[in-house]
Amino acid sequence: MKKLSLVLALALTLCMLCSSALAETHLNVAWWGNQTRNERTQQVLDLYTQETGTTFDVTMNSFGDYWTTMATASAGGQLPDVMQHSTAYIQQYVDNGLLLDLTPYMESGALDVSNIGESVIDLGRMSGGVYGLCVGTNSMACLYNKTILDNAGIEIHDLMTMDEFMALCKEIYEKTGYKTDLGFGTESYLNYVMRGLGKSLFADGQLGITVEDAEYFFGLYEQGTKEGWLLGGDVFASLVAGSVEQNPMVYGSSPDTMSWCAFNWSNQLVAMQAAAPEGVELALTTQPSPDPVKSGFVACSMYFSVSAKTAEPDASIAFLNYFVNSVEANKIMLGERGIPVSSVVGDAIAGDLDPLTQQVVAFVNNVIVPNSSATPAADPDGASEVYATCRELVEQISYGAISAADAAQQFVETASEILAR
Amino acid sequence: MAQSNAVGMRRPGWAQRLKEWLCRESTAGVICSLPFIIGFVLFLIVPMLLSAYYSFCDYNILAPAEWAGFKNYVKIFTADAKFVKSLGVTFFYALISVPLRLTFALIVALILLKNTKMTGIYRAAYYLPSIIGGSVAVAILWKRMFAIDGTFNTVLNMLGIQSNIAWLGNVSTAIWMLILLSVWQFGSSMLIFLSSLKQIPQTLYEAARVDGARGYQQFFRITLPLLTPTIFFNLVMQMINGFLAFSQSYIITQGKPMNSTLFYVVYMYQQGFEYFKAGYASALAWIMLLIIGAFTGLLFLTKRFWVYEEGN
Repeated sequence: MKKLSLVLALALTLCMLCSSALAETHLNVAWWGNQTRNERTQQVLDLYTQETGTTFDVTMNSFGDYWTTMATASAGGQLPDVMQHSTAYIQQYVDNGLLLDLTPYMESGALDVSNIGESVIDLGRMSGGVYGLCVGTNSMACLYNKTILDNAGIEIHDLMTMDEFMALCKEIYEKTGYKTDLGFGTESYLNYVMRGLGKSLFADGQLGITVEDAEYFFGLYEQGTKEGWLLGGDVFASLVAGSVEQNPMVYGSSPDTMSWCAFNWSNQLVAMQAAAPEGVELALTTQPSPDPVKSGFVACSMYFSVSAKTAEPDASIAFLNYFVNSVEANKIMLGERGIPVSSVVGDAIAGDLDPLTQQVVAFVNNVIVPNSSATPAADPDGASEVYATCRELVEQISYGAISAADAAQQFVETASEILAR
Repeated sequence: MAQSNAVGMRRPGWAQRLKEWLCRESTAGVICSLPFIIGFVLFLIVPMLLSAYYSFCDYNILAPAEWAGFKNYVKIFTADAKFVKSLGVTFFYALISVPLRLTFALIVALILLKNTKMTGIYRAAYYLPSIIGGSVAVAILWKRMFAIDGTFNTVLNMLGIQSNIAWLGNVSTAIWMLILLSVWQFGSSMLIFLSSLKQIPQTLYEAARVDGARGYQQFFRITLPLLTPTIFFNLVMQMINGFLAFSQSYIITQGKPMNSTLFYVVYMYQQGFEYFKAGYASALAWIMLLIIGAFTGLLFLTKRFWVYEEGN
C-alpha cells in the first residue's frame, strides 16, 4: 500500500513536470509597490492569462527589499523576465549587461510605440540603446495640506522661488505652529535645487557641483533650523523613512511634530490623501527652487525592462506591449504608475480617473510640461551612497551639530570620493 | 582463467568490506549526522569561505567579483569614520547592556527562588519579554512608546511631568532606549540563573547560619562564588549576542540620530544591501568575527581569576 502510494506520488509529480513543460509560455514578473498597485497589477496579469494563456510568477516587494532581492537574483543569473525598474538603479543594470535592448523590437513593431512620444522613449535611452520602457510619467511635487493654509488665510501659487518659499515656511510656522519638511531624506531634492542653480549633481558619473553650490543647499536647512520652522532629525528618528502612512504631513498629533507639506512624486498624492486624517484636504504645487523652470522636469516614474537572459524574449515583449497599449489593462490600473505614456490609452481612461488623479494629471500637463527643462540622466553607480551622505549631513545640521559651510565641504569631499571609485 | 579467478576472488572481498563498514557503529553515526554535516558545510562553511574571498574583492553583487587585494581592509582601517563610530556604539551598547541585564536577571532570579503559589506564574511572566523581545513587533512597539507623542511621554504628562523629549531622536538618549529594551529581555539569563541557584546545596546555607552568617554574607560568600560559572557562561553568550545586535537598531532607529545607534551589523547591512558593496561588507564581517574571537578569548583568560571551579 505504501509502495503504491509512493509510485502514484512519483507519477503525479512527473505528470506535473511534463505538463508545466508542455504548457503555454510562462513569465516571471517583478515589481515594487503598494497594496493598490499589487492588486491592480495582479488583475491585469489574470486578464492577460485569460486572453493568451501566458502564465505568471510574480515577485512584489517594497522598494528597498525589491533591490536586495533583484541583486541577489542577478547574482544567481535568475533575474525575472520582466522587471519594474527605476532611474536610481537602471544604469547599473545596463552597465552590467543585465537588460535587453528594446530597440529591435520597437523597430519590428513587436513593441508598438506609435502612440508614445519620442521624449518618453528617450527617458529609457542610455548607453546606445533603450533598456527600459517608461510605463508612466510623473514629476516632483510639493504636496501640501490645503486645509491648514485655508484656515490660516494663506494662499500659495505654483513655481515659487526659494526665497518666497522660505518666507512662507516662516509665516506658516508663526501663524499655525506647523513646521516644514524641507525634503528631509528626499534624495532627489538635492539635484532639483542644483538644477535651479544651473548645475547638475552628477555629470558623467562624477560630482557636478562645487562646495559653494552645496553650501547653498545646506544653508536652507541651517536657516530653517535657526528660524525654528524646520522639522528636524528628532522627529524623523521615530518615523519609518519613506513610508507614506508615516509621513509627517499626515502622521502625528501636534503641529510641532508635523509638516504642512511633503516633497514627493506627483502620483503619491493619491496614497497620501488616503493616509491623511479625515477632513484634511491635500493639494500639490511645484517644489521651491532658485529657478523652478530650470529645476522642473517630467520624469519617468518607473520603467519596465526585460532581462537579457530571458528564455522568452518574444513573450516578454508581447506582454510589455499589452501592458502599455491595452486600454482594458489600463482601465484597471488607472494611472497608478504615473500618467499612461500612450496618448490613446491616456484619452481612453481619462473619464475613469478619480478627481484626485485628474488633479495630478492636470498638474503635470499644465504646470510642469510648459515650465520644465530636460530630464536628468539616470543615476550613476554610487548615487545611493551619495544621497545617504547628504541625508546624514542634513540631519546633523538640524541638530545644530555642523555648520552649512562645513557640511558642504564634507559632502563634496565624500561624494567625490564615492563617485571616483 | 587465472585472471577471472582473481576477479572472482576480489568481488566477495569488496562486498564483504562494504558490509563490514556498514555494520560499524561509527558508520551509523556518520550517516545519522549527515543531515547536520551537509547543512553545516553548505550553509555555513561554504558561505563563510565565499565571504572570505569576497572580502578581498570589489563585488557589487550585479557584476562578478573582481580581485582587489587588501583594498577593502586598508580603507576600513584608514579612511572609514563610520567604521570607528559603529564599533564605538556597539562596544558601548554591549559593555553596558550585558552587565546590566545580567545583574537584573540575577536579582529577579533571587526573588523568584522563594517558593510561593504564584512563583510559576511570575517566572513565566518575566520570561515572556525574552520570547517576544527579539521580534519585529516589540521593536515597533518600542518605537511608538518612546516617540515624541508616544505612550511614555503621555504617561509622564498625565503624572504632571511636562515632557516632549524625543527619546529616540535625541543623540544622548536614543542608545539608552535600545539598552533598556535589551535589559528588559533578561528572561533567558534569569532561567539559567534560577536553575543553578537551585543546585546550590542547602547544607552550605545551614552551616553558614549556624556559624552566624547574615543574609548578605551568605550571598557574597556562598551564592555568588558558586554562581560564577553560570555568570561566566551568560556573560560570554550575551556579549557575543550584544556585538551582533541588529534588529533593534535596524527597526527602531536605523542608526539615527546622527549615527548614535549605528550598530556594527547595521552598518555592515547598509554597505552590503543599501550601497551594494558586498566585498566591503564581507571585510567588515570578518573583522567583527576576529573582534568577537579576541574578546571571547580575553574573557576566558580572565576566567581563572574570578570563576570558581569545583575541585580547584
